[in-house]
Amino acid sequence: MIDSDSVKQLAGHPFDRRDFLKVLGWSGTAVALSGCGNTSIEDGRETVVSYVEASDYMVPGIGVYYNSTCAQCDAGCNINGRVREGRVLKLEGNPDSGINKGKLCGLGQAGVQHHYNPDRVREPLLRNGSKGEAITWDKAYALIAEKLAGVQGDEIAFLSGGMSGHLKVLLGNYLDSLGTRNHFVYEAIAPSVVRAANVKAYGVEMPRYRLDKAKVVLSFGADFLGAWVSPVHFSQQYAQFRKGVDGQRGVLIQVESKMTLTGANADRWLVVKPGTEGVLALGIINVLGTATGDVAELVKGYDPVRVSRETGVSVSHIEKVAALLRMRSPSLVLAGSAAEGYAHGSQNAAAINLLNQVLGNVGKTIEAPVSVPFPQMAPAKGNTAALKSLNDGLAAGKYKVVFNFAANPVFTAPGAMKFKDNFAKAGFKVAFAHYLDETALQADLVLPLDSALEDWGTQVPEYMTEGAQINIQQPLMERLHANTRGMGDIVLALLKQRKADEYKGFEDYYAYLRGAMLQNKGALGGGGVDDDTFWNETLTRGIVKLAGATGALTTHATAAGLVFPAHKEADEHYPLHLIPGVTASLRDGRHTNQPWLQESPDPLTTIVWDSWVEIHPKKATELGIVEGDIVEVTSRTGSVKAQVYLFPGIHPEAVSIPVGRGHDAMGRYAKGYGVNPFQIMDTVFEAATGELAMHETRVKISKTGQRVLVVKDEGAAGALQMGRKIASRVSTDQIDLSKEV
Amino acid sequence: MHRFLRLPILLVGLFMAVSSYAANNSQPALTTEDSLGPQVQQPIEFPHNRHAGNHDASDPAKGGMEINCQYCHTYARRSAVAGIPPLQKCIGCHQSIESVRNKPRIVELFKYWDAKKAIPWKKVHDLPDFVRFNHERHIKRFIEQQDRPVQEACGYCHGDVKEMTVARRQKPLAMGWCASCHEKDHPVTAEGGAPIGNQAYWYSFQKPVAAQDAAAVIKARGPNDCWQCHK
Ligand code: SF4
Repeated sequence: MIDSDSVKQLAGHPFDRRDFLKVLGWSGTAVALSGCGNTSIEDGRETVVSYVEASDYMVPGIGVYYNSTCAQCDAGCNINGRVREGRVLKLEGNPDSGINKGKLCGLGQAGVQHHYNPDRVREPLLRNGSKGEAITWDKAYALIAEKLAGVQGDEIAFLSGGMSGHLKVLLGNYLDSLGTRNHFVYEAIAPSVVRAANVKAYGVEMPRYRLDKAKVVLSFGADFLGAWVSPVHFSQQYAQFRKGVDGQRGVLIQVESKMTLTGANADRWLVVKPGTEGVLALGIINVLGTATGDVAELVKGYDPVRVSRETGVSVSHIEKVAALLRMRSPSLVLAGSAAEGYAHGSQNAAAINLLNQVLGNVGKTIEAPVSVPFPQMAPAKGNTAALKSLNDGLAAGKYKVVFNFAANPVFTAPGAMKFKDNFAKAGFKVAFAHYLDETALQADLVLPLDSALEDWGTQVPEYMTEGAQINIQQPLMERLHANTRGMGDIVLALLKQRKADEYKGFEDYYAYLRGAMLQNKGALGGGGVDDDTFWNETLTRGIVKLAGATGALTTHATAAGLVFPAHKEADEHYPLHLIPGVTASLRDGRHTNQPWLQESPDPLTTIVWDSWVEIHPKKATELGIVEGDIVEVTSRTGSVKAQVYLFPGIHPEAVSIPVGRGHDAMGRYAKGYGVNPFQIMDTVFEAATGELAMHETRVKISKTGQRVLVVKDEGAAGALQMGRKIASRVSTDQIDLSKEV
Repeated sequence: MHRFLRLPILLVGLFMAVSSYAANNSQPALTTEDSLGPQVQQPIEFPHNRHAGNHDASDPAKGGMEINCQYCHTYARRSAVAGIPPLQKCIGCHQSIESVRNKPRIVELFKYWDAKKAIPWKKVHDLPDFVRFNHERHIKRFIEQQDRPVQEACGYCHGDVKEMTVARRQKPLAMGWCASCHEKDHPVTAEGGAPIGNQAYWYSFQKPVAAQDAAAVIKARGPNDCWQCHK
């Protein structure tokens, strides 16, 4: 114990670090003592939760585990949730899953915060001026029926995020009953240009990439470890790839203009001038020298010197990459979101796919995908082209009733689209929502949804592995709030308004789902098993595994249609490229109100709770900018202000702002943190697919004169080691061994 | 720039240390003394004495029914936390005890049952969140292995419940108090080395490691590592 003498002695002396820790230690002990003492805790104050009736397996303090499906992104990882005393506490991966094999990403882990989020909508809300008034579900349904009465099918639009499974089928039936074909499927971040290019090159939208079989992976901006397609699955393949095939540890080369998490893990990271990824791919084909026919003809012009000039990658690097690819086969070349985000994105992706074909990777590391035998359940996909056509219709005042589900276009639409203004022109707007996000705030009627941990459903992931699978989503616990409803239940209720006879047999969506699954029991692997057994086993597993059908891939390499636009001069007013950064935890910003995601540091910059502008240190010196300066980033569409982070992993002619932050609604953990780069995006579209070219926005930056301390884990703000280094080192040639021994 | 911040931080730390030292210079008791907790008002005044108390041959209507603690508190032997018996448990017996069916407390009880609402019992025993006390381990040790009477074993921490109506905390439940038992050498065998209670069965799996003393009694201590409770 500390005595008063030692206190005096300490007070009279300068503290060193050790004493400082001692002092902290004492105060820590003191706090602990008061915590243990007789003034105990919650005796007589807190209520103990007890059961009214308890099943045998329910024992307080002991977890029960249920399998379900992660709904945080559409990769479709299977989860296993721990439930204790009727509350879900923790999610892990389901080890039986071919996709995530028992693992889960940070975004998936945060799923419990989606469920317990304090800002969830809890009652149906009807607009009354600028406020939402709580109404009953009966009134809400009646209102929808009333608004739909006499409205033509083509005056109705339904906007949704990607969806699949029985919900998709049921919604399709509802839209049919309304006589509308206007289902717009919109995911703000989706590899849609790559999908289109893949159809041309391989005959399928998304083949199976086998990183685990490749000896070299050359990735053009595909952040497969962070946010691309099925990151948990790819991370596991990547581990295999690093262990090596035939004892050869896989080599990863990442080509991009802004370093991603995957880029940071690469053996060689090559910075490329924004938009020239395809040119580089053709340059590599040229150096390889194995192409024949029209491909050989095409790449003739792409000699290393020219390619180096256009892309900024040195001739020696181009030759080294080609030499490595020649030496180690099979390899795998990936076209990611950085390559597709330009007006000529299709050309980039086509050139990259061509490289795969020239290298003979198709059929080796690129395999045909499997598909579920129920095509109607396959995922509905879409990107900004769908939003654009909805937006055009809205602008023309075409729609009387608009529904929105699982999308937040007011937040994610490029600013130049003026979606919010156009949305206001719709007659009656219904939002199915978890939070009062930017889009729900514009709606006339907001219907509160169950969380993914309270709701029933099925999902068919776009990217599947060894076999096809249907993912089961089941409630891990009872509803937290009495007045939220599952999307399936809502669609069923709406369908009953139109086709009461056909659907009257289904009491709720659960009954529909169970009925539909049992009807196809045979095809779902339950032939010869009685209904209850099949159903219980299905729920226990949380996955229905199917053999699935596999097609064949096209392997024929052709240069047809591959033309790159003439080299564009830099824009003198807006000299910099804006690269929207897609981070592993925030993605398109639909989960920003989960505080874990705000709190976990960005893996590359370690910044938390805020946005930043990545600028190359060289460029920053040129502009007289230092870290923490607040700069204004201005495009033709608008401007945002954010703190600067000096980042050597970005092309000097580009700046990057991560997407997902900058909400002005949604909830306490999202609203007011950071800026939203979607707001300043120009509407430049990809030429072949009509999708938004997300990397085409040009900006300029100017200093505002303000400066802040960047809140991050690394660097000066956090890494002060009280004047000491973490581990001091000297190089061997500086050591005089005779003195050391 | 951060250097000048150090002194104020140190002073704040020092101040906190000294002031909390002053406030906490009384040590927690290291004895098994009784230390009554607050009298807790419960939604139903549950008579532990009536259920668990000793049978009174002269007036059976007054005495207890000697029900084993574990009959209602079934979770204690299966889980770290003891929980509270589900309402179903009460009803299971009381639906067929007509004689008390109209007593105010039982009427109240059935009101909850009819409404299918849990009774909002108030916590009587609580530990800070950084302490993990495990009921199951203690029951295994004392009741199953050493064959101690249930009421005695539960009573080490909960006091003489059969004399209470609503339970009231009897012991300090502070760390020093826990340690006062865990730090003692307890005989695990009788003189001559014969295992106490049912331990012969358990020792067929794992023999006690401690050495015998002069009287051939093996003594052992309860688990003493910090992490046993602070996980
Ligand atoms: S990648 Fe992460 S967020 Fe997406 S489904 Fe899998 S675990 Fe969930």
